[in-house]
Amino acid sequence: MAEAGADSSNAAVDGGGGSVQNDYPTIDPTSFDVVLCGTGLPESVLAAACAAAGKTVLHVDPSPFYGSLYSSIQLSSLASFLSREATPPTSTVAAAASDWHTVVDLHRRIVYSEVETSGAAPEPARRFTIDLVGPRVLYCADEAVDLLLRSGGSHHVEFKSVEGGSLLYWEGCLYPVPDSRQAIFKDTTLKLKEKNILFRFFKLVQAHIAAASASADETGQGDAPARILEEDLDLPFVEFLKKQGLPPKMRAVVLYAIAMADYNQDGADPCEKLITTREGIDTIALYSSSIGRFANAEGTFIYPMYGHGELPQAFCRCAAVKGAIYVLRMPVVALLMDEEKKHFVGARLVSGQDILCQQLIIDPSYKTILDVPFDGSDSHFPRKVVRGVCIISKSVKQGSSNVLVIFPPKSLEEQQVTAVRLLQLSSNLAVCPPGMFMSYLSTPCTDVSVGKQCIKKAIDALYSPQASDGSEDHLETASESTEDVKPTLIWSCVYVQEITQGTAGPLLSCPMPDEYLDYRNILGSTKKLFASIYADEEFLPKKSAPVYANDDSDSAE
Amino acid sequence: MAANAGNKIRNAKLVLLGDVGAGKSSLVLRFVKGQFVEFQESTIGAAFFSQTLAVNDETVKFEIWDTAGQERYHSLAPMYYRGAAAAIVVYDITNPASFTRAKKWVQELQAQGNQNTIVALAGNKADMLDARQVPAEEAKAYAQENGLFFMETSAKTAINVNDIFYEIAKKLLQGQQAPSPQAGMVLNQRPNERTVSSSSCCS
Repeated sequence: MAEAGADSSNAAVDGGGGSVQNDYPTIDPTSFDVVLCGTGLPESVLAAACAAAGKTVLHVDPSPFYGSLYSSIQLSSLASFLSREATPPTSTVAAAASDWHTVVDLHRRIVYSEVETSGAAPEPARRFTIDLVGPRVLYCADEAVDLLLRSGGSHHVEFKSVEGGSLLYWEGCLYPVPDSRQAIFKDTTLKLKEKNILFRFFKLVQAHIAAASASADETGQGDAPARILEEDLDLPFVEFLKKQGLPPKMRAVVLYAIAMADYNQDGADPCEKLITTREGIDTIALYSSSIGRFANAEGTFIYPMYGHGELPQAFCRCAAVKGAIYVLRMPVVALLMDEEKKHFVGARLVSGQDILCQQLIIDPSYKTILDVPFDGSDSHFPRKVVRGVCIISKSVKQGSSNVLVIFPPKSLEEQQVTAVRLLQLSSNLAVCPPGMFMSYLSTPCTDVSVGKQCIKKAIDALYSPQASDGSEDHLETASESTEDVKPTLIWSCVYVQEITQGTAGPLLSCPMPDEYLDYRNILGSTKKLFASIYADEEFLPKKSAPVYANDDSDSAE
Repeated sequence: MAANAGNKIRNAKLVLLGDVGAGKSSLVLRFVKGQFVEFQESTIGAAFFSQTLAVNDETVKFEIWDTAGQERYHSLAPMYYRGAAAAIVVYDITNPASFTRAKKWVQELQAQGNQNTIVALAGNKADMLDARQVPAEEAKAYAQENGLFFMETSAKTAINVNDIFYEIAKKLLQGQQAPSPQAGMVLNQRPNERTVSSSSCCS
């Protein structure tokens, strides 16, 4: 079996041309339409889109592996990755050192902070793969899946289902999330009254979705009674759910486990954190259209085998197939501007070579001295996410490999104003040895200490510390008659990640991994970035995938 | 996996490795399409080739991955190596540097791939005997020392091209590895078949 791990070997294999100095190769040619620095998912999708549009592309990364902030890295490399130093800022823009370009130094941003590790990392460390973007999934029906299919990237990645479904943490117990008619019927923890209310609600939503899509097809004239009123669509979703008579627990199911709201919908928080009925139903539509989309996928979500680092690799390969040139282990140390400092015209590689281009695209961990005025405004309200990674001894749900757990706001403690999500993954994804499981947690936060506290409380709620003898620590799983022994927490790491949005303009900077469970927001930003530079080109048109000789690929399970 | 009437099909991922210009793509084009293109630019436009080979009563369907040029600056992704049942490391018999780098590709493959990958060493451009720089005996000895099998090939004249793939297929069938239980689900373009039942399920 292939070993898990996105790290390339660090052996000095020189597969290319001769090197000029310090074993860095000379890149030939020396000018491109597009140069990208960093191989995160947005950069890789942009590389594939630019190459598919016929642009010449150079794509470099300072690391020996693909993925940048979207990597899957080995457990043994995690600590050094999270503690990467930022380069000290230069006090002034460097004087022009080359013949006619102004050189602007490129620095690394501090992305991760407050890293806390506990427990001993199990051996062999290379058998554990950590996803920096976790917890993250693909909905079967979402844009990331369609992009993979259109670009041909789907040929390069295999998936497993999150077949254990979703669980809701409520009053100290785990409950299955009834996310479909079948699930409602099967559920043994719901009261009959709750089932009826929820069933009526889903029926209403499905009728609305069907009427809306019929309307979009211009065939459903006069179907008004089936649709939700416009005034209800603009209500906060929580108010609409109250109007429908959903009790608190059912509202939590819909809001946090199906509509994936992050912030407390019942509190006195600012209005912009409340999702509207329209937004909630959009996510419910995606959720329900994902169930059963693929014959061999069970449930709503799928996960890439070997981790999320496979997705950037897949899009990079698509770009390479269209002619993009790839160079790993190649830091960019400076950017080149024209003499008037109005446009970026290229990049200086660590080898000293200058590469010219029409458009520069950089990964979000880079910044330039020119960013300082914008950093000033950015630092007023920095978005942050607290992430956790755990290695545990058994599944939190007996008999299931991959499971999503939702902790609604205030389910862990009174100060918890944001939902905590936990995604458990098993060895069937080749991310850990058999008999062990990985768990990823995250919660968005403005108060870092509260965020970390909530992540730790979620970990404590589900897992026993290693020292415990295990016989006294139980977790009530409501769907089963007997109490389960909690899984043992073998190792964990909690850290804070800064989030920056992508920015267009003279220098195009890509979005960081965000707090969401899926890639919709990131891919939406990426698509806009592409449109900002190539407004007349289609973003990965449907026929981007290469034609394969004798291609009769079938789905394997 | 798929099974034809009375015949067993074995699917196998095969990857190509070797220096830029050694002729990896030419080798595949000759095998799959019977074509040879003089002065081909670096590999562009093809991600996979697929070709079926009959060996006695069994069939091997090769899914052949080409590097798409990512080997030029040593930037192949781990996914390229993963799950490969076989690899062909190609060098150019007229270019000693390409043989030196082929050895490094073998080392890389052994570090990245799994222990059971069948590895073939191909000395390509065997039609250019007058320009030979790498003795066959030297390559053969290296192959024996490292558990590879060796053939000199010519994509141009088709010398040993079918033979090297045939030999790999034979070795694969001798190995009779069980299909990997880790195989995941491949997305395919038939999502619409389930849409109706999905909506009826939730309505």
